[in-house]
Amino acid sequence: MAELKIFGYANKISVKPGDAITFHVNADGTSTAQAQLVRLIHGDTHPAGPGYKEEEILSPLNGAWDVRKQFTQVGSYCTVEDPEGRLAVDGSFSLCAFVYPNHPGDGLRQCLLGRWDAFGNRGYGLWLNPAGLLEFGYGNGQEVDYIDGEVPLLKQHWYFVAATYDAKTGVATLYQESAANRYNSRLGKVAGIDYRSHVRETLRFKPVNPPEVPFLLAGAQDFHTLRGTFVTQGLNGKLDRPSVYDRVLTREDLDAYRKSGQGPADGIVAFWDTSSGYTAEGIGDTVVDIGPHRLHAVGYNRPVRAQTGFNWNGKSHSFQVAPHEFGGIEFHDDAIIDCNWAVTRSWTVPELRSGAYGIRLRIGDGTGIREEYIVFFVRARQPKAPIAFLVPTASYLAYANEHLSFDAEIMQPLAGQSPILSELDIEMYQTESFGLSLYDTHSDGAGCCYSSYRRPILNMRPKARMSSMGVTWQLPADLSVIAWLEHAGYDYEVLTDEDLHLEGLDALKPYRLVLTGTHPEYVSEAMLDATEDYVEQGGRLIYMGGNGYYWNIGMRTDEPWCVEVRKLNSGMRAWQARPGEYHMATNGQKSGIWKDLGRPPQKLTGVGFISEGFDSARPFRRMPDSWHRRVDWMFEGIEGEMLGDFGLAHEAAGGLEIDRYDLALGTPPHSLIVASSGGHSDNYVTVTEEVLYPYPGLSGSHDYRIRADMVFFTAPNDGAVFSTGSIAFGQSLPFNNFDNNIAKLLSNIVNSFQSQKKVPGWSWTLEEKQIR
Amino acid sequence: MSRTWIDPLSGFEPEKAPREVATNDYLSPQTTWNETTRFKPKMYKVGRLNFFYKWPGHGGHLWSRTRYWPTRRRVLNIGGTYNQKTMRREKTILDKRPIWWTIAFAAFLLMPFAVPGDLWNTVMTAAAVFGIYAAVNLCWMLIIGTAGIYSLASYAVVGAAAYGATYIAILTGIPWWMLPLAGAAIGLVFGVIIALPAMRLDGFYYALLTLGVVELGRVYVIQSRVFGSATGGLYGAPSYLPDDLSQQDQLLYGYYASLLVMVAALFLYRFVNGKRLGRVLRMAPEKKEAFAEACGVDYRRARVSVFLLSSTAIGAIGGFYASHFGGASPNLFSFDTLLLALAMLVIGGIGRSEGAVAGTAIVVFIDRVLIDWGPLRFVLIGLIMLLVVLFLRDGLFGIKPQFRAWRDKKKSERRATRAEKGGEMLPEEATETENKDEIYYRRFDKMQRDFIKRLVTNEIIEEHRSRPLGQHSEALDRLLIYFRRQGQVDKYAILVTEEFKAYRIVALSGHRGTAPRVVEDKVYLNPNEAYHALFLRRVQDLLET
Repeated sequence: MAELKIFGYANKISVKPGDAITFHVNADGTSTAQAQLVRLIHGDTHPAGPGYKEEEILSPLNGAWDVRKQFTQVGSYCTVEDPEGRLAVDGSFSLCAFVYPNHPGDGLRQCLLGRWDAFGNRGYGLWLNPAGLLEFGYGNGQEVDYIDGEVPLLKQHWYFVAATYDAKTGVATLYQESAANRYNSRLGKVAGIDYRSHVRETLRFKPVNPPEVPFLLAGAQDFHTLRGTFVTQGLNGKLDRPSVYDRVLTREDLDAYRKSGQGPADGIVAFWDTSSGYTAEGIGDTVVDIGPHRLHAVGYNRPVRAQTGFNWNGKSHSFQVAPHEFGGIEFHDDAIIDCNWAVTRSWTVPELRSGAYGIRLRIGDGTGIREEYIVFFVRARQPKAPIAFLVPTASYLAYANEHLSFDAEIMQPLAGQSPILSELDIEMYQTESFGLSLYDTHSDGAGCCYSSYRRPILNMRPKARMSSMGVTWQLPADLSVIAWLEHAGYDYEVLTDEDLHLEGLDALKPYRLVLTGTHPEYVSEAMLDATEDYVEQGGRLIYMGGNGYYWNIGMRTDEPWCVEVRKLNSGMRAWQARPGEYHMATNGQKSGIWKDLGRPPQKLTGVGFISEGFDSARPFRRMPDSWHRRVDWMFEGIEGEMLGDFGLAHEAAGGLEIDRYDLALGTPPHSLIVASSGGHSDNYVTVTEEVLYPYPGLSGSHDYRIRADMVFFTAPNDGAVFSTGSIAFGQSLPFNNFDNNIAKLLSNIVNSFQSQKKVPGWSWTLEEKQIR
Repeated sequence: MSRTWIDPLSGFEPEKAPREVATNDYLSPQTTWNETTRFKPKMYKVGRLNFFYKWPGHGGHLWSRTRYWPTRRRVLNIGGTYNQKTMRREKTILDKRPIWWTIAFAAFLLMPFAVPGDLWNTVMTAAAVFGIYAAVNLCWMLIIGTAGIYSLASYAVVGAAAYGATYIAILTGIPWWMLPLAGAAIGLVFGVIIALPAMRLDGFYYALLTLGVVELGRVYVIQSRVFGSATGGLYGAPSYLPDDLSQQDQLLYGYYASLLVMVAALFLYRFVNGKRLGRVLRMAPEKKEAFAEACGVDYRRARVSVFLLSSTAIGAIGGFYASHFGGASPNLFSFDTLLLALAMLVIGGIGRSEGAVAGTAIVVFIDRVLIDWGPLRFVLIGLIMLLVVLFLRDGLFGIKPQFRAWRDKKKSERRATRAEKGGEMLPEEATETENKDEIYYRRFDKMQRDFIKRLVTNEIIEEHRSRPLGQHSEALDRLLIYFRRQGQVDKYAILVTEEFKAYRIVALSGHRGTAPRVVEDKVYLNPNEAYHALFLRRVQDLLET
């Protein structure tokens, strides 16, 4: 019997009563699982807090679910709908493509394009073979005949490759030439490398092209008895302008193709102009065939579009300016956007209280990998509550199944500790089909720029802890805020980043007060705009965390389950996009951090990212400004100046990732620093975007800027913003069963913010003229 | 040498006394850099002169590769490479065996014209014997080498086929070309008979059984009047050579005919050993059958197929033998024939066609050409065999890989004695390292380790124990930063088995998809205990290097 495991996901992350949602579950070693609908209340099992809390909800979903093993297609590639079998060329033909291999050789067979059945040895294909050589081959069902190049392709270099096959004589010819210029490849001219290879050989028999074998870009079809057909031999790297011709292209034809990117006009079966079809709003998954038959290719698991092409010459940096230079389409054999598992259960959401919910699935002893929470959020059908908790689901996706403890050498020095791994972390690391986070690199070394929730996310569940830091992170940390709202008895509803992105200001408008998550780091322009408009129109915002409103992300409106980011040049980044690949395929915007786009988080919240450290946290101490009557009401009932010298995250409220007030970056000039943390350890280092020259002294015990600021300012139309400036703040709330000065401070603020009345102290605005 | 360190963050808690911790005297991290000005081991110049011609790559020229019609095999397997020292394109013949075989065939063809006149008869007679024996040995090699069946009955099959074919020829007067066919049929029958026990026996026991069969054959033909117990053999088989040839021509044609048989055997060897059957069998060597079977390899069927195929071929060669020598002699069953043949295989190297051919050439030359030496030549053969068995792992043709393995062993032994453990690379290693950055990393790491080893004191360990995370004294901080910066392979981590209750120490694989391994059984009750235990392990590892 297989080891018992259960994992699942839902097709939606945010639903309203009446909406349909489907659950997709994979189970190993069993065929039934015990399901229970629960409302998630507190997600941190830390002994200093109230412990884990959930509320079991009566539902027809509860009880035994039939579950089974499900398979996941990993890797990105393109399929081609070709009902007339035009790509099953029976006579002479040529296959051509520009290719930029990320990881050639190393025992990996990577199919560039072809109609290849790897199980039955039928069809044809053009590959990078396990030795990294260009290889053209075909099969007749029994045997394979092939021809390979003279020298291997070198990594991260643009080549133009082609194979021609003369059906009459059986002569196959390979064409391999460098397509590099001064900008687009890893090595420059001075390395003096001869990349060329032209080989000819007479092959033995004729290829067989059965109708059921599909044509694929960057993959080939394989078969398994249990699983059926699937795609294998994925490419790691970029393709540009691949094509199929039904004649033998001559050397001159190919030379011209290589120089211009345009093949000869006669004989085209399909010519996928990877740079075609770009719009100002972004690029979809369809790769346009400009040939006569319009055999458009469609990306699966979202191949990365808008990458620099073979002809990118460093002059333009956006596909909107010079689309023809951005024909690169990048594939990774470990990409995963949608597991596409069969539906295990469908459900129409009944009238439920708005909140965080999960389907708890248990098999065996119901611990570790034998317990799964499929998390989703239920909004109010009609918003009624004054308070909204804005769940930063985009940031959950950014960290979904992050591999930092395992793969990132920098993580231990960064976190100032050794990781604490759980069984779930190890299962995640062992299972390729759970995919990667925006903090990981693909196996070929390229950064992962897409993350989606249509796959099991092992760290987006209650009780999970961030292994590298020994604390809760994202959802389980945000549940501490929800648990506090719950404990204090506030009337609140939840909504998610996805709702905000799709509905904009309308999603926030019904609420008097919006609380953010503890780490709302990834925001799209629509989300940022809506939040800004909300505050400007009199909304009240409590920014509950640190390092928020940081990365500019893209999200397709029709596929909101997937977010895109490009990490570039500045900011605390796990990887670095290649030159020229700074613009998101999703919406054409330049990604990177909002600060570099002219919208530092200070402009919205008064504070912005200054430092991070994970070995310790520090309490806040009241700043002199907090005795001003504009804000002293926040401290009613609080003894002393020290705030939050306790907590579930390293025992204090100021820590993990912390934000600072900065007028130069747009903190509203009338803001007050109410309290600040201080005395951070040297594990806290100044963030890179604030560093022009790194010099000794950019760490906690040297740099005065390293601190978390609680900032308050009033906004137009009776609006107001309070920022906590620290991720650890939220994790101090549950300390001592929510009876502590951080919880007291927050409830003072929430009480006044949620009311229709003006914020207390609003009228104490005159210049000081005291004799004292 | 203990001093105190004041936590620079103490100022933020003015109501408490500053936190003071016992720590080390300050030691400059440049110490080890200043102390180290030269390599301890003697440094030798490295670099190998390019003393032979290397073809450049084809570059932009079209390279037309030819194949052996109708196969997929290229005439010569030539690979293109980048020279790592220059990035020049070069071509290398990846498999030079076709060249050696071509030279050998040319030598075989021209050999009769190069033999001195007084030795001509002796050499040509021996050469024909060589051809036939080489053919038999090639088939036998399929049984021993490819199928891994220790059968000693091959020459008995030759004998049986030769006797049988001669007998049939005498009785029925069939033409000479029927003899190999008759022999093949007899070989097949014989093969079936001795294949059956091979299904049940293996190794030594099967060898013993086949030895019994050989002896049975010998006793039978010696005793049997029908098979010429009186004449010392059965003669009267028709010869394939026309009667009107001179003796010299007979020897010459006989030699070429035997050579042809050998070539035929080589083809058989190639098609069995180099194709599916051979691959299947190489997956199932002796003592690994169970594994092969578990992988779905039907090795029994493959073994029996090879056995029957070879026996049939050996039988056909037996028929040819009868036609060549005009009959058969009990000598074929004798123990010394068997031993000589075994010597041929062993000297050349088991499992290689070139081994079978060269071994046969050597032994036949000594046995049949150096007749003047008398019994001494058997001593010589015995001596060669003994030396081969004693010193060579895979016969003469295994010398090259064996030499390379020996050279590698010596190389690592010598490097190990010269280089310091965990120290800098020697020039010999550096030249083999593609990424030169690693060479510097080794230097830096060595300096770091030598330095931080001196920082390990009881005070530092106590400081860590009392507070594993957070601000640390300068010395402890250096130690921790060094530890945390190490690569992911075998880097220690903590595994939580029950949150806030039970923790264990593991080591990361550093390889995506591979789980960490558990390094010890001990369970720690809270993260701080686990952090400290992990720290102690790292300190111990550091001091051990």
